[in-house]
Amino acid sequence: MKTKINKEYIDPVGKSVPRIDGRGIVTGQTKYAFDVAFPNMLVGKMLRSPHAHARIISIDTSKAEALPGVKAIITARDTSLIKFGSNEYFFPHTVDQMALESDKVRYIGDEIGAVAAVDEETADEALKLIDVKYEVLPAVFDIEEAIKPGAPQIHESMNNIAVILPVNFGNPERAMKESDYVREDRFWCSAAHHAALEPHVCVGQWETFSNKITLWSSSQAPFKCREALAKTLKMDLNDVRVIKMAVGGGFGGKLEMLPMDFAACLLSKKANGLPVKISYSREEEFIASRRKHGMIYKIKTGVKKDGTIMAITGEVLADGGAYCSYGPTVLAAAIMRIFMVYKIQHFRMSGYRVYTNTPISGAMRGFGGVQSGFAIESHMDMIAKDLGMDAVEFRLKNITTPNMVTVNKMVLTTNGLRECIEKACAAAQWTEKRGKQKKLCRGMGIGIAADVMGSKMYKSHESAGSIVKVEEDGSVYLFTGAADTGQGSNTALSQIAAQELGVSYSRIKCKAGDTEITPFDTGSFASRVTFISGNATVLAARDAKKQILDIVAKDRDLSPDDLDIKAEKVIVKKDNSVLMNFDKALELCSSFNYGKQIIGRGSYNPKTTPIDFRTGEGNVSGSYGFEAQIAEVEVNKDTGQVKILAMWDAHDIGKAINPQSVEAQIEGSLAMGIGYTFYEDLRFKNGRVANGNFANYRLPRSIGTPPMHTILVETNDPEGPFGAKGMGEASLLPTSAAIANAIEDAIGVRIKDLPITPDKIIKALKEKETQKILS
Amino acid sequence: MIVSLTINGQKHDLDLKGHETLLEVLRDRLSMTGTKTACQESECGTCTVMINGRAILSCITLAINRQGDDITTIEGLAKGDTLHPVQQAFLDCGAVQCGFCIPGLIMSTTALLEKNPRPSQEEIEYALDGNICRCAGYPKIFDAVRAAGKVMSKVHENKNQ
Amino acid sequence: MVLMLLNTLTFHAPKTIPEAARLFADLKDVKILAGGTFLLNSLKLLKTKGTKTAAHVLSLAGIQDLKGITVDPKGLTIRSMTTITDIFESPHLKDNFQVLRTVCRNISTTPIRNMATFGGNLTCRYTWTEMPAVLIALDARMHFIGPDGIPQETGAEDFFKNAARTDKIFTHAYIPRDTGASIAYRRVKKMSDVDVPLLSLCVKTNLKGKQWSNTRVSINSTTVFAQRDILLEEFLDRSQSHPKLGEEALKHLTVSIYDTRSSEYKQHMFRVCIKTAIEEISR
Repeated sequence: MKTKINKEYIDPVGKSVPRIDGRGIVTGQTKYAFDVAFPNMLVGKMLRSPHAHARIISIDTSKAEALPGVKAIITARDTSLIKFGSNEYFFPHTVDQMALESDKVRYIGDEIGAVAAVDEETADEALKLIDVKYEVLPAVFDIEEAIKPGAPQIHESMNNIAVILPVNFGNPERAMKESDYVREDRFWCSAAHHAALEPHVCVGQWETFSNKITLWSSSQAPFKCREALAKTLKMDLNDVRVIKMAVGGGFGGKLEMLPMDFAACLLSKKANGLPVKISYSREEEFIASRRKHGMIYKIKTGVKKDGTIMAITGEVLADGGAYCSYGPTVLAAAIMRIFMVYKIQHFRMSGYRVYTNTPISGAMRGFGGVQSGFAIESHMDMIAKDLGMDAVEFRLKNITTPNMVTVNKMVLTTNGLRECIEKACAAAQWTEKRGKQKKLCRGMGIGIAADVMGSKMYKSHESAGSIVKVEEDGSVYLFTGAADTGQGSNTALSQIAAQELGVSYSRIKCKAGDTEITPFDTGSFASRVTFISGNATVLAARDAKKQILDIVAKDRDLSPDDLDIKAEKVIVKKDNSVLMNFDKALELCSSFNYGKQIIGRGSYNPKTTPIDFRTGEGNVSGSYGFEAQIAEVEVNKDTGQVKILAMWDAHDIGKAINPQSVEAQIEGSLAMGIGYTFYEDLRFKNGRVANGNFANYRLPRSIGTPPMHTILVETNDPEGPFGAKGMGEASLLPTSAAIANAIEDAIGVRIKDLPITPDKIIKALKEKETQKILS
Repeated sequence: MIVSLTINGQKHDLDLKGHETLLEVLRDRLSMTGTKTACQESECGTCTVMINGRAILSCITLAINRQGDDITTIEGLAKGDTLHPVQQAFLDCGAVQCGFCIPGLIMSTTALLEKNPRPSQEEIEYALDGNICRCAGYPKIFDAVRAAGKVMSKVHENKNQ
Repeated sequence: MVLMLLNTLTFHAPKTIPEAARLFADLKDVKILAGGTFLLNSLKLLKTKGTKTAAHVLSLAGIQDLKGITVDPKGLTIRSMTTITDIFESPHLKDNFQVLRTVCRNISTTPIRNMATFGGNLTCRYTWTEMPAVLIALDARMHFIGPDGIPQETGAEDFFKNAARTDKIFTHAYIPRDTGASIAYRRVKKMSDVDVPLLSLCVKTNLKGKQWSNTRVSINSTTVFAQRDILLEEFLDRSQSHPKLGEEALKHLTVSIYDTRSSEYKQHMFRVCIKTAIEEISR
């Protein structure tokens, strides 16, 4: 190889090597789908319903078509009327969205058509000229209203319930009776938005003669997008190419094909193959992508007086918006995450995924675990207080352990939860500070959580594939289907490839997320990439190494099993003697005698079982991650403002492939959690998004960022690549509860409705005063 | 009308009608896609450029109003293959994740450090409060600002000697 | 083109104040462009809603006479096109002018402060921007000029009640120096809502020992315009500094914060701010 090999980057796993794609980003050269532009490219815009619930009577596009500069208009009649959804395998009836609706619209913003024109102004004008006649229907916006008999039915389902998840184990009624103390609480977890900085954007091109589609996309799951496009446009998979560009943030909002992706392709076809770019405005982002499910979380727990949890019952109502999207999986995660954290034998919870005439709820980082994290960890904290037990002691009494199987058959192997709790408490000085700073209106709170490393929700497999191709000069390509959305998977996977291959990270270039070139990967969600795509990469690198060693062995008349590649050198294992360096080995492979292409392949499908949605059983993940979080706050009793003094986060990640990236992800999660706790609240008024812009939907900024202390706990998972598990979501799950628990410690008020805003604190303090006076 | 803009030291003569924001001129006319936009309402900071050394939002700046000003974008910081200290520090400190906020953040940071290469934590937070980052949560960004400041104050010292 | 944030407009860039005033009067359907942080956002928003926007934009950026801060022994002159950052960084903010540094520090974000202007903040007519309360408390004189070229001036209170709606161009404010003033400024914003202040208020007095005199209490978050609470001022002028003064003062509050968007929290914060502002001065 001609470029200098950086010796520091040999054995890169565990080192904070720089981002493989970093230089392009800091110089502004990296291209996002947002930046893709072609000559003659058309601007596309979606035609949206102004009504929350209505029947479409007629659509007249004639005036718009006559407008100069308009090149294509599509409505449902141009499509094959095929529905798509994200839970096809488990809940076929929830495949309920059409790219362009043909008979009913179900939320303000629902797509019924699209235009492509020479510029933005013309496209806007054309939309205005399309004449749509609606029959407005009564609409319903509130979850509890929607499930009442007699409420307007949004889909063909009973009482607007898309899915009911009943999860039952043991005999909770009897166990409750045997409990010494029972507590019941209800929580409201607000709706929120991913608010990734890069909006949803795509460029679609239909090569009309070869009948081939290319979509440049900002997607977290390009293969899933391809599949949905192929389904709705009736194409073969190898005629649809989805190219994931650099992605400016996803957080779960870019996991699915949206009508805009479909529309960009079909508009291009109608416009004789001109590329069409559709780019969401920030308002469209809030209205017409996905959002977090708002949830009513009711939980009742019975405990023994020594703190042992006996039984848990409850009910979760999730506000799904107008279509199903990832609803059932979010609901399942909201209910079943608890089994990874606490030992429970007796359990009954029913989850209802409810339709309302509001924007669509889907996957958002944490997948229901953020809402359940807030509810469960607040609830447990209150029980501990009622029992007179320390909050940490209560947790330690009930947490899961390594090498156990939960009541719903999750196999927990490595489990660093205890270590995380102990390390977080030590770092935060829990015993010295908890309950002891009330005079200063300061308090400390803990929250704990567990994370899956992938989970079977996509068909019957969630495998990943990798290809490691070594060139004649020793430079290396890693082809992976995994979608780097900024979390650093290209970097981590390249480190893994280099480590397994035995060479420096300098040699690796990573090509990711192009469905025509890279192997299949289900995408970036459920914190799966390091674990699943990482294992595929190990296998591919191992295969490539084997191919090289086969040639060297043949040439030197040795057995390939006697050889290895370490620190850039081919060595004899027995005595570590060097046969040749890596470049020389590749010269040999591509020499006249051998002429061998080194193409290593790896495919990995974790040994897991899908959730049986009838029973709630399933070992959904090959490994589980754990974490404990502590927040220290100071409350101003006059203004109700809460200042976070510091946060501590101890995370069991198995092994940190790139410690700096892991810390960065934890810090980002903490910030997102702080935002969800205090400021982020996606509000609706009669189905219309009330605060769909950054002026009114506040995101965390530099001012107000607390000091964050991250502690990496390495339990060296036997199944993970080099012991790594993966992460990305766990640090978001307990944040709201840790903060709410800290506020309770500081000033003795408990807020059970998110977000925790100053006016709620003032109100709670006043109520507390009134109660004191009355009693 | 012909409007003359000086961007990254280079003069560009553009035929403008008057309504074009500097953001549109950079991205659409000059294909300089390093400067982004994420909100169109001056809240996110991804469109930040430097004008006469100050951090300015290009999405609410009329291009026609900036003749004679010294405009610097993200494309103008590196010198050939050598990254500007701020760019290098963002890489070294792990402050880069998805990267969409980075050009704007780097411009705000550069504007801060050129005036004050040793800012306090409070000064850093204030200087960057106009740039949203959804990925990083800010601690590593603060580290990058401090690291870049150290390098830039050495350069200042060397210049003054 | 893929991006077109604004409707077409005709751009004017006068070089002198009289030229600007004449243009402003002559042009139909014209908006004044100061820093652009308010106007350009509102033009964008109107465009996305499909509303017609102003045909002409009159930029004051080219007029050097409208920029800068100057000081003389009797007072401080702040010209309308001075940016918020320039005010914040000005070395002239001594004595009673110091409060302006606190006010500027809390306006929006850094790039906005680099662009937004003093004049823009005064005249963009949100009833809750930051400058009105402070200028009333500081007894500023507001200067403006009409198409006839004749400069006019009026007191801050009157300006915010009436003159901000004129067809004249605001040129500068003159703030009399007051070395003996004690000033407290409060600004409230509710984090999960729009980032303009819910409320800003300013309390100024001249302490003679512990005796309050020449007190001003100006409040900006009423439905109509920033105004003073005369009865509260009279009460404070009869009072001496002491730890409970803030609480007592609440009994004499007459300006109500009530408007259709007022919430319990805003009422509560109004009282907290008045109380703590008075306490700050009393110490």
